[in-house]
Amino acid sequence: MKIAMELMMYTLFATFVGVFSVWPAYELVGDQRAIISLVFSHAGQRIGDCRMLSQDELNELPPNMRTVNDCPRERHPVRVLLQSNDEVLYDAILAPSGIWDDGKSSVYKRLEVDSGPHELFVGINDSGGKSEFDYRKSLVVDLPSGRNLVVQFDEKTQQISIR
Amino acid sequence: MIEHVQNLGRGFFAALQKPMSRAFDGASNPLNHLGALTIFFFWVVLVSGIWLLIFFRTSVSGAFDSVEYLTNEQWYLGGVMRSLHRYASDAAVVTIALHLLKEFAFNRYRNNRWFNWVTGMPLVWIVFPLGITGYWLVWDELAQYVAISSAELIDRIPIFTDSMAGNFLSDDLISDRFFTLMAFLHLIGLPIFLVFGIWLHLFRLTGPRINPPRRMMAATLIGLLILSAVFPAVSHEQANLAMTPTVLRLDWFYLHVYPLIQVASPGWVWLLLIATSGIIVVAPWAPRQTAESPALVTLDYCNGCERCVDDCPFGAVEMVPRTDGTNYTHQAAVDSSLCVSCGICVGACPTATPFRSSDDLVPGIDLPDRSAATLRAEIVAAGERSDKPKVLVFGCRGDRGLRELRKAGATCIAVNCMGQLPPSYIDFILSRGHADGVLLLGCEDGSCSYRFGSDWTTQRLARRRDPMIRQRVDLSRVAQGWQAPWSEFATAIDKYRAFESGLSR
Repeated sequence: MKIAMELMMYTLFATFVGVFSVWPAYELVGDQRAIISLVFSHAGQRIGDCRMLSQDELNELPPNMRTVNDCPRERHPVRVLLQSNDEVLYDAILAPSGIWDDGKSSVYKRLEVDSGPHELFVGINDSGGKSEFDYRKSLVVDLPSGRNLVVQFDEKTQQISIR
Repeated sequence: MIEHVQNLGRGFFAALQKPMSRAFDGASNPLNHLGALTIFFFWVVLVSGIWLLIFFRTSVSGAFDSVEYLTNEQWYLGGVMRSLHRYASDAAVVTIALHLLKEFAFNRYRNNRWFNWVTGMPLVWIVFPLGITGYWLVWDELAQYVAISSAELIDRIPIFTDSMAGNFLSDDLISDRFFTLMAFLHLIGLPIFLVFGIWLHLFRLTGPRINPPRRMMAATLIGLLILSAVFPAVSHEQANLAMTPTVLRLDWFYLHVYPLIQVASPGWVWLLLIATSGIIVVAPWAPRQTAESPALVTLDYCNGCERCVDDCPFGAVEMVPRTDGTNYTHQAAVDSSLCVSCGICVGACPTATPFRSSDDLVPGIDLPDRSAATLRAEIVAAGERSDKPKVLVFGCRGDRGLRELRKAGATCIAVNCMGQLPPSYIDFILSRGHADGVLLLGCEDGSCSYRFGSDWTTQRLARRRDPMIRQRVDLSRVAQGWQAPWSEFATAIDKYRAFESGLSR
């Protein structure tokens, strides 16, 4: 009797381990839903223009610090707008990183949307509002269920990419 | 508040013990070997992991394919090993959780036991990443989910400018080197820290039990093997970063916090993890702390026999060169930062004998707050009562059975641990007629609050360990009742009544 109980206890333990190793299933994304991932790190433009130093000014600087241009360190925040079918999915002003506000502005957002056709618009402003958007892209995509569409800013081409 | 949570934990173990006590004796009860069982599961994980490593390929396409090969083509060995690797890892999480809860519920984490408690927390922080990196290596949809969610968690640490999660946006961003890194973490980096962490966790313990009984090892291994054969671990579809997995079969033992990343946010998950860990780490210093005085050595009576050193479960007593100029070479010295005031050293001391004629019973080593003299005085007082007890019960302080026996009218004397009672006290009680019988109620093997109290006591009474009980003691007048502290007290009362009525006959 005791051995039977012992067997039963070990069986229960193994069953407990086996069951909660896979159950209950977790639904990450609902049926007929897709994901738009908005991901990039992009440095806004400097908050002011660079100034060319005169020769006298350069001479006053230590030799290792003699750069021709004197530029402000701080950068503008980056505004990003993502719309689908004229509905705003994400609209934010991203502060530059770093204690001197001289780093990149970053965003990582996974936005769940209905699958199906989407008329997407992405606009990015990195110049502090001199124009509405310095970079913009519109695209019509048909998102199948479970698709992960990535919206990025390509630093090499300086363009918004949607893929 | 803490006591309320502890009571809940005790209730949980009491409920668990009911069916367990029907299946197991004390020494074979897995609840008494949770730490050792965890280490055993790691051995299983290690051996099965070595087999998996032989066939695993650290590349984007190779990782998934090699695990699929093991699971499907080599199902009879590789598939079983993979499943065993996973289920033993899951079982380790269960035993770790129970181990932690047990030590907390039964107050085995306060005062000088803080070190073992606090050093357990880094182990938890190593074990979970170890399991999580294992899931990355399969590179299926679950791995994809774990990788992205983990990267989102790491991104929340405000020291990175570029998003780590951004590296998991398309398959062409993942390189073979990534798998080399993950394999290094899973196979070498984290296991090295784990081994060091376990060593540190057990550092202050004398004779730590790192292996459960063989029967238990065999039974759990067979159980996990059967589980692996009947219900083998399988992969999800291969990872495809252009798509998002929809439904996942999560391993809830390791990945239970991951859904919270989506439901709440990575920041909240960090807050939850750090706050929970922080509360656990500082718990030993929470209010209502009652520390007892450590054991005290009286050199006049210490002959340097070393028995206290041999028996101390926490390495708190050591022998040092004699300082009082007597002919003995060494003397006992207590490290008050290690002593937990269990009194086992007093039970081991040959000078802790109540037969001594001097009025002040001062043994070579004693507990100031529960001295050998006090114990003798309580025995004598009980024996001199007009309603002299037939049976004198000794029990561990705080034992539920002891409390209930007191309520039932039994004469009970509490000791800090049953190992505190020197065998000569039993001889004293019976030979001087203070009672007709002695009942010892303590924690069963493996569940002793002070690790070796029950072990040493049974060995002393069986005349296998010094100080042995004298031959003249009629052992039929000495009953022992060992049960886990979370057992039902009813068995203690039954034991008492049966023993008392047996003496009457």
